[in-house]
Amino acid sequence: MSVTTMLAPSARNSTSSTSSSFVPVTRQNTIGSDGAPRSVRASKRYSVTALYLSMSAQDKDMEIEDELARVQKTLRDLKSRISSQSKKNFVLEKDVRYLDSRIALLIQNRMALEEQNEVASHFDESSELQEGTFPDDRKTQQYGNLFFLLQSEPRHIAALCRLVNMAEIDSLLQTVMFTIYGNQYESREEHLLLTMFQSVLSAQFDTTPEYSSLLRANTPVSRMMTTYTRRGPGQSYLKVVLAKQINNLIELKDLNLEINPLKVYERMVKNVEEDTGTLPANMPRSVSAEEAAENPQVQAIIEPRLTMLMELANTFLSTIIDNINETPYGIRWICKQIRSLTRRKYPDAKDNIICTLIGGFFFLRFLNPAIVTPRSYMLIDNIPSEHPRRTLTLIAKMLQNLANKPSYSKEPYMAKLSPFVTANKNRISKFLNDLCEVGDFYESLEMDNYVALSKKDLELNITLNEVYATHNLLEKHAKELLQGRDTEHLTILLQELGPAPPQVPRKENRAIILPLFSRWESALDDLSAALDITQEDVYFMEAKSIFVQLLRTLPPISAAVRRPLNLKKIADVAATTKDIGTFRKGIRGLELLNQLKDLGVISEVDEYQILREEVEQELVHLGSLKEKVTEESLKLDEVYKTIRDHNAYLVSQLETYKSYLHNVRSQSEGKQRGKQQKQHVLGPYKFTHQQLEKEGVIQKSNVPDNRRANIFFTITSPTPGTFVISLHYKGRNRGLLELDLKLDDLLEMQQNNHDELDLEYVQFNVPKVLALLNKRFARKKW
Amino acid sequence: MQHRREYHIVILGAGGVGKSCLTSQFVHNEWIEYYDPTIEDVYRKVIDVDGRSCILEILDTAGTEQFTAMREIYMKAGQGFLLVYSITSLSTLTELSDLRDQILRIKEADSVPLVIVGNKSDLEEDRAVRRDRAIMLSQKWGRVPFYETSARKRQNVDEVFLDLCRQMMRADVGGSGSGGGASGGSSEKVYQTPRKRRFCVIL
Repeated sequence: MSVTTMLAPSARNSTSSTSSSFVPVTRQNTIGSDGAPRSVRASKRYSVTALYLSMSAQDKDMEIEDELARVQKTLRDLKSRISSQSKKNFVLEKDVRYLDSRIALLIQNRMALEEQNEVASHFDESSELQEGTFPDDRKTQQYGNLFFLLQSEPRHIAALCRLVNMAEIDSLLQTVMFTIYGNQYESREEHLLLTMFQSVLSAQFDTTPEYSSLLRANTPVSRMMTTYTRRGPGQSYLKVVLAKQINNLIELKDLNLEINPLKVYERMVKNVEEDTGTLPANMPRSVSAEEAAENPQVQAIIEPRLTMLMELANTFLSTIIDNINETPYGIRWICKQIRSLTRRKYPDAKDNIICTLIGGFFFLRFLNPAIVTPRSYMLIDNIPSEHPRRTLTLIAKMLQNLANKPSYSKEPYMAKLSPFVTANKNRISKFLNDLCEVGDFYESLEMDNYVALSKKDLELNITLNEVYATHNLLEKHAKELLQGRDTEHLTILLQELGPAPPQVPRKENRAIILPLFSRWESALDDLSAALDITQEDVYFMEAKSIFVQLLRTLPPISAAVRRPLNLKKIADVAATTKDIGTFRKGIRGLELLNQLKDLGVISEVDEYQILREEVEQELVHLGSLKEKVTEESLKLDEVYKTIRDHNAYLVSQLETYKSYLHNVRSQSEGKQRGKQQKQHVLGPYKFTHQQLEKEGVIQKSNVPDNRRANIFFTITSPTPGTFVISLHYKGRNRGLLELDLKLDDLLEMQQNNHDELDLEYVQFNVPKVLALLNKRFARKKW
Repeated sequence: MQHRREYHIVILGAGGVGKSCLTSQFVHNEWIEYYDPTIEDVYRKVIDVDGRSCILEILDTAGTEQFTAMREIYMKAGQGFLLVYSITSLSTLTELSDLRDQILRIKEADSVPLVIVGNKSDLEEDRAVRRDRAIMLSQKWGRVPFYETSARKRQNVDEVFLDLCRQMMRADVGGSGSGGGASGGSSEKVYQTPRKRRFCVIL
């Protein structure tokens, strides 16, 4: 059983005994991974858990400072550091990707000055984000309402995911994965995120005509699921199942396991030629694939390699199967959704098709990319050399062949590895099905949401630009979004917010803490009314919680903590201490003992045996919990270190670019170095057909002469280096045609001596367009 | 025996657009019926281009975006590129721009032998990408050849590979790659067909 499971409240953990072992203090880790159906009793027990957790969430006046509390705090800190560091890395990666492409243009000397400035501005303040607040409280409140709604009702985000295009996905991805549901180890956010996936997945199943095209395309959802698999828990898992074996393998730099006969033959020829200086007559330089495969020498080389490959792949497979319980809950749950959606949508689907689809997620998008390119998954430090790289690719192909019906017609030589597929077909099928055997969380999610409502301090660390970008996307897709069911609240909030503000320049972007609260539901004062539990349960839980807390607070040498426990004595001792928190707990403990006695739940005669035993069990559980927590901390420490290293790598990459750009800019000095480009929209500027024709911008027009007077163009520059050219016809509000242009596209066309820019009705001359843009949009800078 | 030139072709494009089906049709005359996502497959075929025999080594790549880290190595090794999208999905076309940018960056060139391929043309009823969208892209890239193909029906399959071969041969002869350019010969190229003018309809 995984550590994660051990930490989960018992109700989610139906394999545990009837004892209820709750985790007080925190609720950051309630993701279990066992799949047995929950009993009614357990379900009720869960309600109690939620209540209990909500009590401790509200109860801030008592800080427990024992060993357990300390290691738990370490773990909590570590988790929040991993979450925030992941986000930083994500942003950095985006920057590096962007600069990768820009710098290439610079190298080819094809970047306009203003764009150089823009790139440079990327570096300004690219270090730490300043903290700040919203300019006005009303907005804070409105956005607080909006983001509470978005977070607690994932269907809005799910709908948005289906509407956005790939160009919009990056900003949405960041906000959704690292901000709205950014606490990677917090059950409520995790469950809401998974609910969101489910809703998008099920929509995808509904709109895909045949299963063979399911989950194949690169969509916003597939990207989100990948990003999800690469968060903390997924990273830990990959380390556990892959890191050691991959590292062992790449150390064997000279181990060549190529089995493609053509490649083997080629190398053989090359070796012979190098050794003897000539080629024997019976050894032609190039042969067909069939000839190579039939060559006995080639066969002799390949034979032992096949055995070795199968052994290697088998080790990989065994490690994966043996560590099924290390697989993060959310990843298993996604597999489960794929299975149940397939069964629902295609009732005739055979087991192998279900396996194929699960494998299409678990192997194709999660494990195999890490096997093939371990460095980008931070599993190894250096890019592997040629032979190990090929071996890893072959292993990934073999694993993928297990999940899919392999078509050896693609690469006939792979058929030699079919014994591996045959031998493991049942094993993999069982494994993929076992992966799906995890419990659902809907019930606990409902509870978590109650708890969230009763928590007064729900908040989101978010940046201004994330807020605005999300608002922008909602606004842009409002028409479709608000068509759905139950969107009244979103409609109201968007109406009140008004138009979405544009992105602020990087320098003015701020990290803010946005308090989240619901506009429609108020905190539940009486949680027990909302849940299926009695007053007795409530008292009993509270009493247990209080006594456990008291026992952890009182000095271990105190006579009160001696076994067998004397609950009354403990409460008495606490009620006489000076510490106000402990004092209150003591008084409350005494009250509760009396109330429970009056209700007939416990009796003084047996010294409150039922309650006493539960408290003792809980303490035992907490004792072992400490070790588990410490163990998990060690593991996460590794993960944290890895992503810190990755961060360092990214930062150094940025530094390189920075100095390169600095050089280029100081070379082109004298023009207007250092001038900061403002990010506001320039234009639209209006041009008549006649005007452009005269200037030679229009080099060819298909507009009939008598209509030309009615045609005009507008050019806007939304950001430096990007332009929108629209063609209008008088009397119509909407343009007939719109063309998005990047300055470097134009430059590239010019470079290629391609001077026609086609607007369907007219053709522009590229150099003239460039001249026009320079004149119009550059002049505004000075 | 005449020494045959060897050319390296890399097939790129989003997941599920039919890269493997296209390649398998070209190399083995075979249609792959079931779902078998590619991680990395290598094919070899000897073909005759305008009377010259050459060996093609064709690298069929993973469309699954999670494998993008491998692309750089492929692009370094490749001499000609088929950028494949599916006419049933607009996003698969838009993904091509990033691929081309990356190729040019890695090649440090302004143009490379390249063909835009709109596959699944037999699925006309599911068409989501109008021809002129791809033609626009082809124009934008300097008149890169563009074909619509059907791997299922084996339509235009040989043509795209032949066009690419001619480009690679020309680049080979001319030293520096001379860009997409019109390749001589028989193959019909979509962008040359006169385009419908929406103008008259609208006004």
